[in-house]
Amino acid sequence: MPVVKVDGIEVTVENGVNMIQAAALAGVDIPHFCYHQDLSIAGNCRMCLVDVEAGGRGPDIACNMQARDGLEIRTDSDNVSKMRESVMEFLLKNHPLDCPVCDQSGECTLQDHYSDHGNNGSRLADIKNHAPKRQTLSEKIILDAERCIACSRCVRFGDEITNTGDLRLFERTDHTEIGLFPGEALDHGYQGNLIDICPVGALTSREFRFQKRVWYLRETPSICTGCATGCNIVVEHQSGEVFRFKPRRNPSVNSSWMCDEGRETWNQSNDASRILMAKVEGSRTDFAAAATAAAELLSGKKVAIVLGTKGSNEGNRVMALLGSKLEGSKLFVLGGNDPSDVTSSDNLLKVEDKSPNRAGAKLVADVSGGAGTENDLKSALAGREFDAMVVLQDDAVGRMGGATVPNVIFIGTHANETSAVAKVVIPAAAHVEFNGTFINKDGIVQRFRRAVHPSGDSLPDYSAVDKVAVALCGSVAGSDGAEIFAGLAKDSPELNGASWSSISGTGHQIGSTQTAGAAAPSK
Amino acid sequence: MDSYPRILTKNWENPNSHTLEEAKKAGQYSVLEKCLKMDRQAIKQEVLDAGLRGRGGAGFPAGRKWMFVPDAEKRQGKPVYLICNADESEPGTFKDRYCMWHDPHMLIEGMIIAAYALECKTAYIYLRGEFKFIQDRVDDAIAEAKAAGLLGKNILGTGFDFELYTHQGAGAYICGEETALISSIEGERGQPRLKPPFPAVEGAWGCPTVVNNVETLAVVPWIMKNGAKAYSAIGTEKATGTKLFSVSGHVMKPGVYEIPMGIPMTSFINDICGGLKPGRTLKAVIPGGSSVPVMTPEEVSKATMDYESIQEVSGSYLGSGGMIVMDDTTDMVSALSNLLRFYAHESCGQCTPCREGVGWMSQILIRLDKGDASDDDLEILLDLANNIHSKTICFFGASAAMPVQSFLQKFKPEFLAKIESARAKISPQGISTNSEAGGPRAGAK
Amino acid sequence: MSSNQPSHREVQNNGHGEISFSAEQEAEIVDILGKYPTQKSAVMPLLWMAQREWGWISHDVCRLVAKRLELPPSHVLTVATFYTMFKKTPTGEYLLQVCHTLSCALVGADNLIAHIEDKLGIKDGETTPDGKFTLMRVECLASCGSGPMMQVNDDFYEGLNDSRVDDILGSLSAGKPPSTPRPEVDQWTHTPVS
Repeated sequence: MPVVKVDGIEVTVENGVNMIQAAALAGVDIPHFCYHQDLSIAGNCRMCLVDVEAGGRGPDIACNMQARDGLEIRTDSDNVSKMRESVMEFLLKNHPLDCPVCDQSGECTLQDHYSDHGNNGSRLADIKNHAPKRQTLSEKIILDAERCIACSRCVRFGDEITNTGDLRLFERTDHTEIGLFPGEALDHGYQGNLIDICPVGALTSREFRFQKRVWYLRETPSICTGCATGCNIVVEHQSGEVFRFKPRRNPSVNSSWMCDEGRETWNQSNDASRILMAKVEGSRTDFAAAATAAAELLSGKKVAIVLGTKGSNEGNRVMALLGSKLEGSKLFVLGGNDPSDVTSSDNLLKVEDKSPNRAGAKLVADVSGGAGTENDLKSALAGREFDAMVVLQDDAVGRMGGATVPNVIFIGTHANETSAVAKVVIPAAAHVEFNGTFINKDGIVQRFRRAVHPSGDSLPDYSAVDKVAVALCGSVAGSDGAEIFAGLAKDSPELNGASWSSISGTGHQIGSTQTAGAAAPSK
Repeated sequence: MDSYPRILTKNWENPNSHTLEEAKKAGQYSVLEKCLKMDRQAIKQEVLDAGLRGRGGAGFPAGRKWMFVPDAEKRQGKPVYLICNADESEPGTFKDRYCMWHDPHMLIEGMIIAAYALECKTAYIYLRGEFKFIQDRVDDAIAEAKAAGLLGKNILGTGFDFELYTHQGAGAYICGEETALISSIEGERGQPRLKPPFPAVEGAWGCPTVVNNVETLAVVPWIMKNGAKAYSAIGTEKATGTKLFSVSGHVMKPGVYEIPMGIPMTSFINDICGGLKPGRTLKAVIPGGSSVPVMTPEEVSKATMDYESIQEVSGSYLGSGGMIVMDDTTDMVSALSNLLRFYAHESCGQCTPCREGVGWMSQILIRLDKGDASDDDLEILLDLANNIHSKTICFFGASAAMPVQSFLQKFKPEFLAKIESARAKISPQGISTNSEAGGPRAGAK
Repeated sequence: MSSNQPSHREVQNNGHGEISFSAEQEAEIVDILGKYPTQKSAVMPLLWMAQREWGWISHDVCRLVAKRLELPPSHVLTVATFYTMFKKTPTGEYLLQVCHTLSCALVGADNLIAHIEDKLGIKDGETTPDGKFTLMRVECLASCGSGPMMQVNDDFYEGLNDSRVDDILGSLSAGKPPSTPRPEVDQWTHTPVS
């Protein structure tokens, strides 16, 4: 574990750490453009140049400097200020002053570093080089080649992450230009990440273009629900409206990336099939009436309780607790995907399993005496073992190829085959609309958080289920999600005493007391 | 000047010196067998003791560079590569082409010995793309050598296997930088790489690699034949042996000269290179290829032709020995503008200061050359050069900056005069009659 | 990057149409591959081979080389556009590359270029209407002591003046390249015999 000094501050770091990372651990921010902790070192922007006081020769770039005993660097000297100022000046020599019309404005590394390290004035009396603007690289990405600062992050992404080798820097000198092989288009499932890693407005989102100035957006950390990987995301929203998802770094789950399919679910809570109001026998009604109708349907019947592999842990917990009040009821966790799921997978982040919380549903089932599979349920329904079925979020009927019973209660967010045959449909809040937890395919418990108000009459799934319980026999869990989770954790040795407040930003690994994602820093 | 052996140029007058038959008559390959049976470390030591310094421009002791390569155990069985840098693109330099044209077998023998010492089994000669006609001749020489059992398997029955290939560049000065050359031969863009890792440890294809200049390798057989002592007896204490100097510009006899290190620069120019043209006086000399600082006549009069003297006397470098002589008819502003156009054309574009800054400096100089500039522009120009120097991935940034810094330092009056004379042409309305395209004039700070 | 070459975007997509390497060329390619430890290293040799065969590096050439070496076409194009000698557009039968870097400029290269422009009626980067000559200003060709000079296709013509250039252009026009393009050498030095 080498011991290094940054601006006089001593810090002990892991082997293999570079000095940008070491400085961060010492609380010193070293500005940079081309360095990205999940890509190889390029060392071309020169913004991270620092003075070396001991243990090496400087000035030199911090990103390519391995921490080793006795290394002491300085970032607060006049020389370093001058070097940073000059790099900013050089970057702006040919960079177009597009800020007023550029989407990146407000989250642009060039702007940020200029305001901190620039020299506040232009000495340029010559012509800037131009390059083609507004090039469509694909349905998702627009390239403005003039804004590019040749940091090569997008090139490295294509070579190292997606192995598509698409974006390249062509020509040389200050006419170096980023682009694709003419006539080709970007063609992989991770294009959105290019927008994230591009430090300037060269690569931007076609969909998001001119939609919202980013300084209006607030950020809420959450989890993607596209598949069982559970990529960590940030939900960006303003005044109750979600505008986009961006990935949030988690070395144990998704590194710095997320797939395009998942990214495009940002608008899912708003799409045409969203259930906004309760329905009884096809007619819209208020929540209370629906809860009462549901209770009537369940009372005295043998009920199949289908836990939601797409529902929260808290929602599933309340479903199980409800089940404990219904004699003769049984829990089921259905395998497979909903018919409406797009089943594509790759060897990066996307997995076949499109349910964000299958592991969670199974964990709830385990502490509640076990659950049957979809085949079990199918044969049970065929054998008329159950009179009623209450389903949380999953398209149970769809997964069973149409098998159902006359009395179905569906609690969920989007219309599907189950809601179509359900006698009672109860609106649940989308995951951007309430606080809860999922467990991903690797057993990492992750929190999703409320960014916007629940749409229509919807309530968090655990509250919605408890309302049915209230109408039936009295509350089984209350409406405090944290308490519900705590109750589950008490019953589950695997959760090992975890609570909402103990789950860190990078998740909680089942079976351990360790925080998942506490990290050896990557490259 | 005492008599000294013509180590490199000995056979250049023979029009057939490039053939194996003539080469052998001249003594090439006569020390090869002995070397291939020597202790490898002993060969490296001999070259180190001879004081042979890299002839490509950096002047780094060749023997020491060879000793950086880790031994077989440390490098875990990875092969070692030797690459001869025949990219010769530094303006003012034109010696390596003649070495290869007239005496390819000298180079080949040098490479076999070097490869043996380095435990290298495959080596390449990277020639600039424009040298195709020279490459053809080198290929012929390699074929001759191979047919004679001097290359390939079990050379001269010593058990040493060694293959030598040529590789054609395609027009990029930057590929003369060793890590850029390595990138290029790997099939990547010819862009320099970050150091560490250093090529001797992790170079071409991830393996230990030594890159040496043509002249450096060509000298090796003579050193092995005549001994380190004999080599270091020539020249000065720190700059041993002879060197090929390429002389161009305003001298009566431009050309390639092999001289021992250490003779006075003035006598070299006047007595050996024929001096200046009649009626002209010396104005400036760039001693070691366009990338090194320019020297004034006063500095020239004090300098001798070796690494140390040139640096002490003028702050410049011996470099590649590509000497450009300029007389009083030279417009120093135009000369600098010409050079910066070259550098702007050759920048690989990888890192910020060089990519943006060299092009910018060239733009300013083009304006300056026409007089369309101000005193502030001179300040900015120097500041840009200072901001590029030593802040870049490779030495190219410094190569572009040093001409600017040295010309401004030593010939400033001429720059100011050009601005003044243009100003004098400004009409009463304040509109310069001399201004051309240069973009909107943002006020200087 | 130079003003006298088109950008990689401007090259027409269907420069050569369907092309492939001949059996002979394939054999040579196998030979070339045997010289390097990786396939990628053969990019430059194959681009040279393609340029000798088809005259210039079109996108079709890039695709062909990319396919043969199992590389993305974008990689081949980025390598091709990095180097100035890989042509991105067809040029005349004789490519006149005249050096204009400092040493040659000091001995009159710019005047020589003006003379050629005058004589042929074309400017830097242009080709004569009959397709015979393309003129290109280039950087240092390592002939600083024998300037002004030019490279015509693969040959160097050094120690030029206006009348020598006229002779050379005349011979080339007649389809008979001058037989000894390289300067003769003098005794001790290697100055061109003028």
